[in-house]
Parts: sequence; structure tokens; C-alpha cells
Amino acid sequence: MSGPSAPTLPVEVEEPVTDQVVETDRPWIVIVWNDPVNLMSYVVYVFQKLFGYAHEKATRLMLQVHHEGRAAVSGGTREKCEADVARLHGHGLWATMERES
Amino acid sequence: MARRFRGKGDGLVVTLDPAELELLRQLPAQLGALLTGASDESGAHDPVVQRLFPRAYLDPTEEAAEVEWQSLVHSDLVKERLAALELVTATLEHATERRGRFEIALTADETQAWLGVLNDARLALGIRLDVTEATDLEAVAPDDPEASAYAVYGWLTYLQGELVDALLH
Repeated sequence: MSGPSAPTLPVEVEEPVTDQVVETDRPWIVIVWNDPVNLMSYVVYVFQKLFGYAHEKATRLMLQVHHEGRAAVSGGTREKCEADVARLHGHGLWATMERES
Repeated sequence: MARRFRGKGDGLVVTLDPAELELLRQLPAQLGALLTGASDESGAHDPVVQRLFPRAYLDPTEEAAEVEWQSLVHSDLVKERLAALELVTATLEHATERRGRFEIALTADETQAWLGVLNDARLALGIRLDVTEATDLEAVAPDDPEASAYAVYGWLTYLQGELVDALLH
């Protein structure tokens, strides 16, 4: 971030050495991809069951998957997203995770 | 056609023709073999196994996280699918005949097992038949060598659709 310039002194900057800093930087999102087999109604049902989404939100996400090929359906820490992906796979949905851009 | 699934308490009652019951009884053996081989070296290269157990990370730089995640969840995901298959198999054994058709009462857990197994069976068949968004089941020629597999796929799709409708309403 830029601001009013202050006289700069050469200081030694300690590089972050753990992944921890990076981890909290950008959260993760879970992506569900379109596939030709899963029924639209089934995908809506799974979003409601796994995430507790209202029918309208679940339907909107399903339609986004259907029309755009993918939709971000949940997000958070790496651990939470890994758990969500596993639950989606357990229900036959094609899901992956990536860092939020 | 009458509804296939009707609500009863926390569960559902499904009505099936004798031939349909017979067809469902063949699923556990087919899917079971696939699932028990899912963790083998050969299973890892099977497109059906890859579809049922996809990667979590597409980013190749996350390969270490992918390997760790697979080691944590893969065997549980296989076990869950096998348990659902066993549950469905057991429900098929207590079908009761009524006026030439069969009825099976399903608890809430059994209903979820049915939903999962029907979906897995469709995913497996869909991969094998290379089903795409453009696939028109009505246009499959009767002499197509896969005509009966397409018919089974179409019927499983219909049945799962009925089940989801019953659960959503």
C-alpha cells in the first residue's frame, strides 16, 4: 500500500518462513464443475443437504454450474474446503478447490 | 404413471415391477467389484474410478497436499459407498409383493443409500457409454450393441429423478 513518503532507511526485512502467513492470506474456494450425468434436481438437493442452502440459493448455484461450467459453492480455510470437497465427492459431484483469486 | 416413491413417516415406500427389482439386484455386484478395485493400481487408471474419486486440487504445485488429502479421505469414501451398497442390497431382500408389483419401505438412512447408489450407478454407466449433454437416449438405435445399457441408464435416470422429487417436496 502506498502512502506519504517517509525517509527510508535500509532495513533488514525478515522473509516469512512459514506457510502459515500465506495460508491466512488468501482463503480457498470450492468449485463444482458441470458434468453431463448428474441431474439438475439432484445437484440442488445435494447443495441444500450439505451446505444448508435455501432452495433458491441452491438452484442459483446449480444453474451457474450448468450454464457457466463451474461455480464456487463454498469457501474458507484449506481444511474446511478439503472437507467440503470430500463430502461433495461422496455425493458424486465433481468438485475441486483452489485459492480465491 | 403413479409416483414411484411416496412418503411414509421419516422414510419412503418405493414401488417396482418385478423386472425392475431384478435389475436393481444386479447393481450391487457390478458396483461392488468396481469399488473394491478402486484403490488398486489398475483401478486408479479406470475412468469410472477417476470420476467417482476425483482429485481435490487441479493445481500441480499442490501435489503434496493432494497426496495427503487422498491418504486421509479415499478409503473412507470407498467404505461409505460400499456401506450404502450393502444397505441397498439388504432393502431389496425385504421387498413385499402386492398385486404383481413389489413394495419396499425405506428408512431415511436407506433412502439416502438408494440415492447415492443410483447416482453412482448412473455415473459409472454414463462414463462407460460416454454420455454427454448432447446424448439423446430416444435416438439410440434398437440394434445398437449398447442399446440395453442405454435403456438401463435411462431407467436409472428416471428412478433417481423420481426419488429426488420425492425428497425435495
